[in-house]
Amino acid sequence: MTEKTEASVNLLEQEGDAAADYLEALLDIADLDGDIDIDVEGNRAMVSVVEVNKGDLGNLVGADGEVLQALQELTRLAATRETGERSRLMLDIAGHRAAQREILAEKAREAIAEAQRTSAPVRMDPMTPFERKVVHDVVAEAGLASESEGEEPTRFVVIRVS
Amino acid sequence: MLDEALAHLVRGIVDNPGDVTVSSRSGKRGPTLNVTVHPEDMGRVIGRNGRTATALRTVVTALNDGRGMRIDFLDVDGR
Repeated sequence: MTEKTEASVNLLEQEGDAAADYLEALLDIADLDGDIDIDVEGNRAMVSVVEVNKGDLGNLVGADGEVLQALQELTRLAATRETGERSRLMLDIAGHRAAQREILAEKAREAIAEAQRTSAPVRMDPMTPFERKVVHDVVAEAGLASESEGEEPTRFVVIRVS
Repeated sequence: MLDEALAHLVRGIVDNPGDVTVSSRSGKRGPTLNVTVHPEDMGRVIGRNGRTATALRTVVTALNDGRGMRIDFLDVDGR
């Protein structure tokens, strides 16, 4: 491992620790049960708050993950203040993102099958950068080509049988 | 609990956590949480286009079981 990657892994761990401290204290104050896992996924710190009892953390996810998104934003700011480097950490609560990712992956697989069947480009619905990344990864794994087209916030993925 | 949670959320993201205080009062427009921060941290708690303030309101509302809560931000000089 080079010095640079060691340094950045170290930074991601610091980020994860800072995030975990911030979230843990919040759970304490709100009297909510949750276990916090820290992981490094690719070049990002991944922090997950896992439910001890199913449904406990529903409020912290919110409709369409709205509260989760807000908490991720605040947690990034807290980690940034701790490390001095802009944090891009991903937060998951009660497996919400993991479940969303599986739904997206399934949509991507359907679109891939259609592209293969018709040999024509398949245009997917507009998605956020995070969602498009999930789709691109699934497509690449299947050995097809994909690119994002259009402008935010209606940028979408096109899948091609290259 | 809400005032304590909000104080924690704010203290974690500012440069002067010791200057953060939260008090609650009930006004005509329902219960309000007043957050005071160091003047230099004001921009930080509001965020670009009010993003951070919105995130704080979203989380506090969620902790309040979805009941909306007014949050006012003031700096310690009272401006």
